[in-house]
Amino acid sequence: MKKLLFVLLLIGCTKTVPITPTPPINRDIFSVSQSSVSNGTEIVFSLKADGIYTLTMGDTVTNQVVTRERFKGKAGENKLKIYTKTLPVKYLYLILEDTSKTKIGKTTITVN
Amino acid sequence: MKNLIVTLLFLLTSFLGLGQSVSAPDSKSFLPSTSGQDASGFSLSGFNSTATLLASISLVNPPTGTTFNLTTTIGLTAASGFTLAGNKTRLVVTGTMANINTALASLKVNTGSVRGNIALSVAATINPTGFFYNGTNGHFYRPVTATNERTTYTNARARSLLTTFKGQTGYLVTITSADEDAFIFANVPATNVWFAATDEVIDGRWVIDAGPEKGTVMKTQNGQLNGNIAGVYNNWAWGEPNGANGSENYAVAKWNGAASWNDLSNNWNNPYVIEYGTWTNPDDATFTEFYTNSVTHTNGDVLTARFNIDFGNNVDKSKFSVKANTYTNNAWSVTTNTPRLISGLGKVDMTSDLDTVKVSSGDTRATTTGGQVEWCVVYDYEPQNQRYQILIDKREFPQGTSPSGVTNLQLFDLWNGPVTYQWDDGTWAAYWIYTPTEFNFVGSSFTSNIRRAGFFWGLSAEFTFIPNTMFKQHGIDLLYTNQTELNTLYNSIVSVSDVFLAFKELSNRGIFGNESGNEFGHGIQYMNADVDGNGIFNEADTYRLLQHLTGVQSLTEYSTLTYLMKLYSKSDYDAITKSNWSTQFNSTRSLLPFSLNTGTLNNTYNVSATWVGDVNLSHSATPIVTNVVASNSTRSSFSMSIPNEINASIITEIIGDSVYAYITIDPLKQELVGTQFKLNYDNSLLKFSSVSHKTKGSPTNYGTDRGNYINFGSLITDGGVLDNTTEYKITFRPQTKLDNVLGLISIGFTDAVNKAGSTLKIRIK
Repeated sequence: MKKLLFVLLLIGCTKTVPITPTPPINRDIFSVSQSSVSNGTEIVFSLKADGIYTLTMGDTVTNQVVTRERFKGKAGENKLKIYTKTLPVKYLYLILEDTSKTKIGKTTITVN
Repeated sequence: MKNLIVTLLFLLTSFLGLGQSVSAPDSKSFLPSTSGQDASGFSLSGFNSTATLLASISLVNPPTGTTFNLTTTIGLTAASGFTLAGNKTRLVVTGTMANINTALASLKVNTGSVRGNIALSVAATINPTGFFYNGTNGHFYRPVTATNERTTYTNARARSLLTTFKGQTGYLVTITSADEDAFIFANVPATNVWFAATDEVIDGRWVIDAGPEKGTVMKTQNGQLNGNIAGVYNNWAWGEPNGANGSENYAVAKWNGAASWNDLSNNWNNPYVIEYGTWTNPDDATFTEFYTNSVTHTNGDVLTARFNIDFGNNVDKSKFSVKANTYTNNAWSVTTNTPRLISGLGKVDMTSDLDTVKVSSGDTRATTTGGQVEWCVVYDYEPQNQRYQILIDKREFPQGTSPSGVTNLQLFDLWNGPVTYQWDDGTWAAYWIYTPTEFNFVGSSFTSNIRRAGFFWGLSAEFTFIPNTMFKQHGIDLLYTNQTELNTLYNSIVSVSDVFLAFKELSNRGIFGNESGNEFGHGIQYMNADVDGNGIFNEADTYRLLQHLTGVQSLTEYSTLTYLMKLYSKSDYDAITKSNWSTQFNSTRSLLPFSLNTGTLNNTYNVSATWVGDVNLSHSATPIVTNVVASNSTRSSFSMSIPNEINASIITEIIGDSVYAYITIDPLKQELVGTQFKLNYDNSLLKFSSVSHKTKGSPTNYGTDRGNYINFGSLITDGGVLDNTTEYKITFRPQTKLDNVLGLISIGFTDAVNKAGSTLKIRIK
């Protein structure tokens, strides 16, 4: 009983650290014209086939490419995390292409 | 004989009072809510220098909050009811003309926030011995206290009416206020003094018996307080008036030396006081031989200070703010702690932050009035040097006034301007007055004060020395949003284009280094390229620039704005040429001094901003004057704009336990000689590993980790170019397992330069 009280006391005195997980975007990001993301947001999109794809983010104002990532995609639903700490602008376009540079999807994102 | 006539004329004019006057300054604008503003310029002249004068200084219906004060009151005595010190709207003093003039020269106006006309009036008259002036009501009083002049009340009343003073008929003094009662008490050296109050018509019904208030009922019954009329001044002793013996019908003040009154019979021979003046407002005074002048200043204008700061085309002006500073006690201090934002057009208004209290400028202005003694000598004009030599008797200099500090002189109507101190032999102080025009001694209105004597002129002049004042030295101190953003900005200011241009300028000076450079179009470019600031642009500077680019060593020891930015007035900036730049001020500073002009209310300052190392002036003001040296040699098509482009691409990928970023270059048709990239990375998830350069020729390739970005690129200065095989590979190690991510790496600032020295825009395709 004494041990139980001690455990309860310990739990009661432990500082609660709030965890605010970044909510994932469950729907296909390219199915909508615009989404908001924050650092670590997981985005979802569908591919028809396995293969090498690229995702390009660029400045919607200057049209300059900010970053481009090459990755291995798989047929069906794919998940990818967006990190925003290094991004120099708030409003970006996001383009998905296959190896033949065929545009598969395009949307815009706003960095929160 | 001639001297005799002059002397007689002088005596005559003195006797008649001719030539006495009060001169007033020109109207001016005062600043609202500002203390200590110079209101000098009134001056008495023509009075006997040894006479005691009475002078009145008044603000007539001033705006609320407006006062004046005298900072110098040496030799003055405040008239009854006044004190010399402090701020006031009216002051009456006695003193000699010289003392009063010295005081008037120190006249300061203190304004409040309420604006309007500020009418200043100065009046002066000779104050004869035996007459006392009450500044409260503007009346003169003459006590009659000599034993043989003491008389009965009725005689005193009658005799007073037979006298005149400065055009006013006298009357037996009336005492209508505690202030006037106190004045009599203080200034009449006698007791039991008759004043004009009687109940001779109806016992106990006391009335004022003379002057403008004659007939006013004071009280209706005898007894100290019995029957006193409210609002009418009474000050009877205890138990008085009592009408004793049925004959005590006349009033005395200072009864038995006390401050109260009594009633006495007409059998007494008492002293009395004659009063002159029939008005209640001193400003309505109509005495003759009372010389007045006035000026109406305004309190409606604001001293303004507006700035147009030219940062060039590629700097976000709104990131800057400014604070006003003043320089006192060898240090700058802010006038207002709240910074003012600069508009997107580079404009900022600092009017509200100015410190408009004037301080001594350290030098002195001398002014003159006609006097009795020749304190000044003017030697004959020296036409070959276009100057006069003048001597001023040292005895005219008050203690503490240094002859060498006198820089300006108003000498009668002969000269009003600068003087150059020459020497001081203990007896005379000598000055030069440089003027192409000879003085008009003969036509002067002060001829009675000017005597021709052989090879010089003797001037009977009284000197007044006034310390010159000025606004404090001001400065605007620029601030940037924050240090992190400033670092980012400065990295884009000094880039590969600047370094290449510096190399190019240096190489074009030829193998002997003595040929004129023909890359830089402006002197300021040399100054910005002369990064060690020794007045010479040479290899050491280009090496320092290269070190900065490659990350070996920053250009400046500190990265705060003060150590990066250079501020100039636009006129100074535009005056920097390719031939004089090495002698110009070339230090970084974010605080630019500026001066408020005494005579100018609306001040606009044009400021040009530039940066150490900004060789191509990409982030600097463009000088108006170009000093292009005509040359037969080929001149590059240097331009401040960014007319040309090259292509580049970026791709990142995760392979195994590494993250790679590849940047490739396509120079298109450009002769590309320099590249610079800033690659941002998320240092919470990635750790920098290496940069590898794939370039042709022998460029200087560089790559430096700056904590959260990599600065890398290439620079060729041997004549070669970078082609489309150029590729940079940057490798990072993930701090945690990563898979399918985007945004950990991104392109930030970029710069490129072609062989001609032109900055190229890199389009990331």
